[in-house]
Amino acid sequence: MTRDQMTDPDSRTDNQATDGGRESLANNDLEGSDPTTDPLVDSSIDVDKSAAPSGSESRTVIESRDLDVFYDDVQALQSVDIDIPAEQVTAIIGPSGCGKSTFLRCINRMNDLVDAARVDGELLFEGKNVYDDDVDPVVLRRKIGMVFQAPNPFPKSIYDNVTYGLDVQGVDGDYDEIVEDALRRAALWDEVKDQLDSSGLDLSGGQQQRLCIARAIAPDPDVILMDEPASALDPVATSKIEDLIEDLAEEYTVVIVTHNMQQAARISDKTAVFLTGGELVEFDDTDKIFENPEHDRVEDYITGKFG
Amino acid sequence: MATDQRTGDWYGTDEAVSRLRGQAFKSLCLGATLLALVSVFVLLLYVANDAFRPLSADIGWLLTFAASLLLPTLGATGYYYTRDARAGETAAIALGLPVVSLLLTGGVFITLEHIVTVYQWASIVVALAIAAAVVFAHGRVRTSADLERFIVLVAVPIAALVLIPDLILSLPMLPTEALALLGSVVVPVAVVVGWFVRRQRENDRDGAIAAGLTLVVAAAGLGLAPVVGLSPFVWMLLVVVTAVPVGLYVESVVRRGAGTAGLAFPVLVAGGVIVGVVVTEALGFAGPNSWLDWGFLTDPPSRTPEDAGFYPPLVGSVMMLLVIVVSAFPVGVGAAVYLEEYAPDRGWWGRLVDLIEVNIGNLAGVPSVVYGVLGLALFIRQGGLGSGTALVGGFTVSLLILPIVIISSQEAISAVPDSMREASYGMGATRWQTVRNVVLPEALPGIMTGNILAMGRAIGETAPLLIIGAPAVVRIAPDSFTSKFSAMPRQIYTWSSEIDAAFQHGVLAAGVMTLLVVLLLMNGAAIIIRNKYQRRD
Ligand SMILES: Nc1ncnc2c1ncn2[C@@H]1O[C@H](COP(=O)(O)OP(=O)(O)OP(=O)(O)O)[C@@H](O)[C@H]1O
Ligand SMILES: [Mg+2]
Repeated sequence: MTRDQMTDPDSRTDNQATDGGRESLANNDLEGSDPTTDPLVDSSIDVDKSAAPSGSESRTVIESRDLDVFYDDVQALQSVDIDIPAEQVTAIIGPSGCGKSTFLRCINRMNDLVDAARVDGELLFEGKNVYDDDVDPVVLRRKIGMVFQAPNPFPKSIYDNVTYGLDVQGVDGDYDEIVEDALRRAALWDEVKDQLDSSGLDLSGGQQQRLCIARAIAPDPDVILMDEPASALDPVATSKIEDLIEDLAEEYTVVIVTHNMQQAARISDKTAVFLTGGELVEFDDTDKIFENPEHDRVEDYITGKFG
Repeated sequence: MATDQRTGDWYGTDEAVSRLRGQAFKSLCLGATLLALVSVFVLLLYVANDAFRPLSADIGWLLTFAASLLLPTLGATGYYYTRDARAGETAAIALGLPVVSLLLTGGVFITLEHIVTVYQWASIVVALAIAAAVVFAHGRVRTSADLERFIVLVAVPIAALVLIPDLILSLPMLPTEALALLGSVVVPVAVVVGWFVRRQRENDRDGAIAAGLTLVVAAAGLGLAPVVGLSPFVWMLLVVVTAVPVGLYVESVVRRGAGTAGLAFPVLVAGGVIVGVVVTEALGFAGPNSWLDWGFLTDPPSRTPEDAGFYPPLVGSVMMLLVIVVSAFPVGVGAAVYLEEYAPDRGWWGRLVDLIEVNIGNLAGVPSVVYGVLGLALFIRQGGLGSGTALVGGFTVSLLILPIVIISSQEAISAVPDSMREASYGMGATRWQTVRNVVLPEALPGIMTGNILAMGRAIGETAPLLIIGAPAVVRIAPDSFTSKFSAMPRQIYTWSSEIDAAFQHGVLAAGVMTLLVVLLLMNGAAIIIRNKYQRRD
């Protein structure tokens, strides 16, 4: 990377205050480039537009209508309306506790497992409300894979961890091949190829995180939900995971929660910004969000004034 | 800094922070611990002294064994303790495992001798094998019919168990007992050994060798056993129940290459015993006139203290444990799984579940006499089962330990982190798949530990046995679950009320000692299981 300020939104807040506009901000980093492609947060990073040109109208797979979630009496999401496009990467950002994980867990009905949780409103997957009575959450979860916020490998061998989804879903096929492929894509294969029989719990935190990613992609779901999949990874592994996510977006729909603005800017096509209180404040093309957000609160959050 | 004026003595001990009350509290706690330990230890020593009477031996005998057995083991223990803790662990298991497996061999022998004959066992094995083959074949032919497969899975084994054993037992010609044992016990064990070794070493050939070796050594008993004065039957049991686990353990220690020095310990102990015996025989030193000897374990009770034995109550206790294992454990673990994994936490039904859980806790505290009365009313008066039988005894004690089994299993299950369940559901697993693949395997060591401890409680229960009418003395070991039986604590109770002092101080102590050893071994096994699996996380 050529810019020293890439991970420091705070430094940019000052900049912005003095420069008085984001246009100049963007331009002082990438002289002469097309100003519309210069993201607010980090001009040294190309927002990837090759995969899906911004503004292209893509089919919607996941759609929420007036979605409220309560944990007992505490409201965690407030009437969220969102259309998540197919075969693109949608990033969800927002301060801690704003309901990002809650929203992800609504999509594959993991909140069913939390007794305190109650969901109102509609969440449509492929046009069908997943909270309808005739939807089997198990079938839903087989279509929508998930990587959890905290790595949670099973106390089984690495191999069995990756094949778990195949096993329970009754998928046929050459497991050895699937395992190798999934581990390679999760950038873990080289580290574990000689110890596939050792326990997944014996791996380091970052390795466990990648193991969980491999486990989620092995059964080939349609949608993959990732809750901070790179929170414990070094820059090399992170960039491999980001490559994986971009790869996945060719065929799959990826929804990723991240606290890392650069990551959101780098890999996502759309970005949703939740703010405290469980409100979806803005949802738009990633460039738009990072360059020219509609709400001041979003801008404040992205530039680090908030939170 | 604020401490500028007093530079230099900020670290001092000049009463700035008082530790007096803390010290006093610590000493009190230490005192309480010591008092508890010392009183138990003194009691054990007292009983052991009565049971073994070491002072009745010649002084030469004591000195010989001190030199051949006591000093070397103490030396080795000191070495392991200070130098090589890993080997010490190996030593403890290497000595304990043969003892436990010998005990287990005795249990299996008693079971096959008095409870199910080898032929019955063999016919059950054959029936199950046929059932498994049918189920497997059906799964191959009809791959997608879920409900049908489930029905077959349940119905075929039941049908097989009902029909086939009788068919086999009515055959005009049956193989000899030893051959039946070879087929129905040795072969399955050899298969399991082979599979296990193959998995451990990731090598097909090693697995085949291990299986073959097991089979050959066991079969050699057909010819060799009489030479060393054993029946082929006992030889095979020794191979399968004692030699196999010990062999597998030694193999695993050697393979890991850590703590191999510990393997010398059992050799040292056995060598010390042999040398001691040989030397004392040669020099003519008389050993202690111990109450607890081989005869005590294999003889029936008697009116004369010297002839008194413990065999029928031993058999009775084994039978009772069998009944408990097949009745209390499945029910208790099943209830625990339901309460932890399926029962709702909220709403009307959730409150009912809470109430039930609280009451299970209360039931664990109900005195055992009360359970005895319950057993009497339920099984004998209402159920029409004969009084004082192993079946009723087992059922009654099962009721008694059921709350303990449920609570300890529940604890083990709830110790499985929720993140693992979430991971499983997130992969699209059903609840059943999650329970079977994730929760139960993870909770199993804890469940087993709890169950073994509960078994320890069961084996020592006396009051319920008195109430359900277990006879004071049983001279012939019971040969079925519906004949009168006595268990170890029941027999001890009888001896305690004999007038003859030799009963009260000698025979009684020997019985208590036996019971305690069995208990300690069971608790030791539970602790080993727990430690083995705890270390992993
Ligand atoms: N199981 C639960 N029971 C009760 N309240 C919960 C539960 N899970 C989340 N909440 C509450 O819901 C709100 C949103 O939580 P959520 O986990 O969705 O936040 P998040 O945006 O993912 O935060 P982070 O970035 O820290 O992961 C929080 O206020 C939290 O306290
Ligand atoms: Mg979260």
